[in-house]
Amino acid sequence: MCDYRALWSDVVLIFPILDGKYPVKNVDEKAYENVYRHLSYVGNIDRLTAIIELETESIARNILAPKFWKHFCLTSGESSSPQHKSLSDSYAIGALKDTNALFSHFVEAIEELYNGFQCLQEMKSRLMQLSKNPLLSAKLKSIQTTLHIAMLAQLPPTFNSIVSDFYCLHFRLFTKDSYQASTTIDSEVFTDLPCVGCNCDVEQCCCVKLSEMVKSSNFKLFELGLIDRLAGSALTALIKLKIKEHITDTCLGIFDRSHLKQLESWINDTVMTWLTSIFTAPKSKKDILPEKIPDSVQAFKVKLTYFMYETFAQNVISQFFSIIIDYPDSTLAIDDLRICMEKIDMRVYLTESLRSSLEARILHPGVNTMDILTGYVAAIKAIRHLDSTGVILEIVTAPIKDYLRKRNDTVRRVVTALTEEGPTDLSEELAKGEFVKEGKEAGLDEFSNWENWEPDPFGIDPNILHINSSKIIRSADIISMVVDIYGSKELFMVEYRNLMADRLLSQLDFNSEKEIRNLELLKIRFGESLLHSCEVMLKDVTDSKRINTHIHGDGNCNESPLFDISALIISAQFWPSFNKESLQLPEEMENEFKKFTSAYESYKGNRTLNWRTVTGRVQIIIEIGERVMEMTVPPTQAVIIYHFQKKNVWTLEELSTLTKVPQSALRRRISFWQNHGLISETEPGVYSLLEKESEKTQFEDMNITDADEEDLESAMASASDQREEELQVFWSYIVGMLTNLDSMPIDRIHQMLKLFASHSGGVEFTQDELKHFLQRKVREHKLLFSGGVYQLAK
Amino acid sequence: MAQNISPEQSGGAGGSSKHNDDLLPVKDNHAVSKRLHKELMNLMMANEKGISAFPDGENIFKWVGTIAGPINTVYASQTYRLSLDFPNSYPYAAPVVKFLTPCFHPNVDLQGAICLDILKDKWSALYDVRTILLSIQSLLGEPNNESPLNAQAAMMWNDQKEYKKYLDAFYEKHKDT
Repeated sequence: MCDYRALWSDVVLIFPILDGKYPVKNVDEKAYENVYRHLSYVGNIDRLTAIIELETESIARNILAPKFWKHFCLTSGESSSPQHKSLSDSYAIGALKDTNALFSHFVEAIEELYNGFQCLQEMKSRLMQLSKNPLLSAKLKSIQTTLHIAMLAQLPPTFNSIVSDFYCLHFRLFTKDSYQASTTIDSEVFTDLPCVGCNCDVEQCCCVKLSEMVKSSNFKLFELGLIDRLAGSALTALIKLKIKEHITDTCLGIFDRSHLKQLESWINDTVMTWLTSIFTAPKSKKDILPEKIPDSVQAFKVKLTYFMYETFAQNVISQFFSIIIDYPDSTLAIDDLRICMEKIDMRVYLTESLRSSLEARILHPGVNTMDILTGYVAAIKAIRHLDSTGVILEIVTAPIKDYLRKRNDTVRRVVTALTEEGPTDLSEELAKGEFVKEGKEAGLDEFSNWENWEPDPFGIDPNILHINSSKIIRSADIISMVVDIYGSKELFMVEYRNLMADRLLSQLDFNSEKEIRNLELLKIRFGESLLHSCEVMLKDVTDSKRINTHIHGDGNCNESPLFDISALIISAQFWPSFNKESLQLPEEMENEFKKFTSAYESYKGNRTLNWRTVTGRVQIIIEIGERVMEMTVPPTQAVIIYHFQKKNVWTLEELSTLTKVPQSALRRRISFWQNHGLISETEPGVYSLLEKESEKTQFEDMNITDADEEDLESAMASASDQREEELQVFWSYIVGMLTNLDSMPIDRIHQMLKLFASHSGGVEFTQDELKHFLQRKVREHKLLFSGGVYQLAK
Repeated sequence: MAQNISPEQSGGAGGSSKHNDDLLPVKDNHAVSKRLHKELMNLMMANEKGISAFPDGENIFKWVGTIAGPINTVYASQTYRLSLDFPNSYPYAAPVVKFLTPCFHPNVDLQGAICLDILKDKWSALYDVRTILLSIQSLLGEPNNESPLNAQAAMMWNDQKEYKKYLDAFYEKHKDT
């Protein structure tokens, strides 16, 4: 019979947890002996083991874990949103204490948990000692596992924020040195700023103390084996945030430098060292060798590097529009992005984001067509640099092309840019035309060049690739890309011809050398046949000069001329059609022109001249009262002032019938002379000559329109007028086909037009265009549209 | 050019030549279709009142024509559809022209066949779609009663009033076709 009471007290002494307590007191060997002897006598050692195990679990579950988590719940209740406050860069002063309080809470909690853990550990070792059974240790669950289970089962949702606060502080402490190094000047000036590490005043900086605390906490967590579980996700989130911040701090808006190297070394030096310091036991900290870095850290590194690339790429992509605009200077940023794209698949993101930013930035009515074109060319260059296959380019620029197609001045702008004086992107491109052509030929020869073949880039919807055109187009040069906006060269050549005609007519002393050079360059690119008429135009101009000199030199034909005529003789077939303005010359003038015509006829045999009297320049000298004016004016103006020689007052109607110029146009022409103070509108529609300079009426002052516009007017029929004529041709075909075939759907009409009507000059006509055209005719009640088919209106 | 190569030789070149073969079985056909294209263009540009024609589908050798009955005749205010089939030897052989709309006329039978000298022995390569249609249009007002295809119509022709009455009844009957 033994003393159970004494035995129990011994047992409780050894295993205080049986009494619900866990501070452990030292026990001497005798107690063990005693307990062991009695228990083995009773044969209850196994039972005791079971009881103790149960107790351990319950302690872990009911006391340690709740206590530990309680720290977190409390603080999160106190400060409404600790996460938000602590994570934001600009710490509010009030939040400072909070953060540090959270920090110390965490330290305390860990301390407590660690103590408990050690006590439990002690229990276990005592149990081992007691049972003297080496196999028992295997049977018992490890205390660590028990604790993990208990802890994780009671995980409060807010704990991550606290943990991340903790490590955030830790990170600041860690990077303090490098941060201070980079901002030394600043910190000297503002000495009273709080310390970067601990947010206290510099004088009371507690960084060192804090670091010590952090280190010990880390070590304890490490011992507990909890560090991965507890801090893992918080750490990841934190580091991601830091990476983001770092990238924004260092790379935003700087495109002329490569950032990848610097970022990589930053990850390696700062972040990884820091992580390693967390994940390795403090002892080995002094001599960390690369192979000693634990697996978890290695895994982290892979993850983080990937994340770094991703964030960086996103960062670059979000600024890609600025990169495009800066292009030749932003090459390095594009190089960086290209490296990123090799490592991670960002294509879809890139195309999406770029498309939307292009749409937001340049594809709206507020932007000049010229600027859009500049953007387009820059985008072509930049994206080429990024992706030489041109697939991304094609996808990204599709909306620009669509948009430019809708603008009616696109063609004109492109042609202007191609031929303008001064350096524009396009004229430079044109100048290096031959070089590009060589490259193109090499590209065509795919079979001999098979070694350089590269597959299409991945990560792009293959459907898009199929729809879109072949490689040759993708690798085309910039001018082709620009011309490709409309899908045909013809349209551009027609516009070029129009612009050239304008230039030739308006600048009679034109720079033929430059025109010929441009023409030759264009010929290289677009082929001779399209530019044949332009050649004829230039030849006309030089021929005209020759003929003029000949006729002037031939004194017999033209005796005592009233004035000199030098004609520009153009071959109507090769020039674009003129607009339909007309002008009736006064008789005396007309006679002079007739004389010139007969001179030409006698010189050229079977040919004659049709005068276009609206276009040209007239040199006149006006003597009126005291004044003598010498000027060069368009013919219409000259004719108007000529008529005022005979009569001082004219009504608009009289002048209009005499000159055959419509009244509205005439009014505009007269305003030219009103501006020069020669004519005034005394009553509405009645004009009279001003003998003296200052006789302007008030009525006139208000009415003078800007005569400068005059010079800008084109003598040519505009491109849209010409298009209208072409459409008229199509219209007669449509009428013909609907008369005979009753009713047709649009695609059939389109097909028929393509088959039968395209012979009249090779004009292109998209179905969209046709649809607009047909809809217009429906509005004009010339067509009926019902049930998907068009019919002629009765 | 693909059309200068015989079909046997160009067979290996793939789909494009096949397409050409369908369109142009013999070399001469190209010239014919070119002529027809040109005629079509002239016709469309001339935009003459009362006559019109257009290819019936993708084949340029089959056209549908429309003529309005000549004014001041019994046929006024009627519209007639015709089919024009061009032979490969066009314009050296006349096209086959038929009325699609039923036409009660001394020189037109009930199947639509037309008895007109220029479509038969008097054909010349100088005629074209426009002149054919104009001839048929004038034939409506001035039938050749010497060699009638429709004897009833030829007999009735002399009494224009009666003829008109019968014609209106005829069209009332054939309205749907």
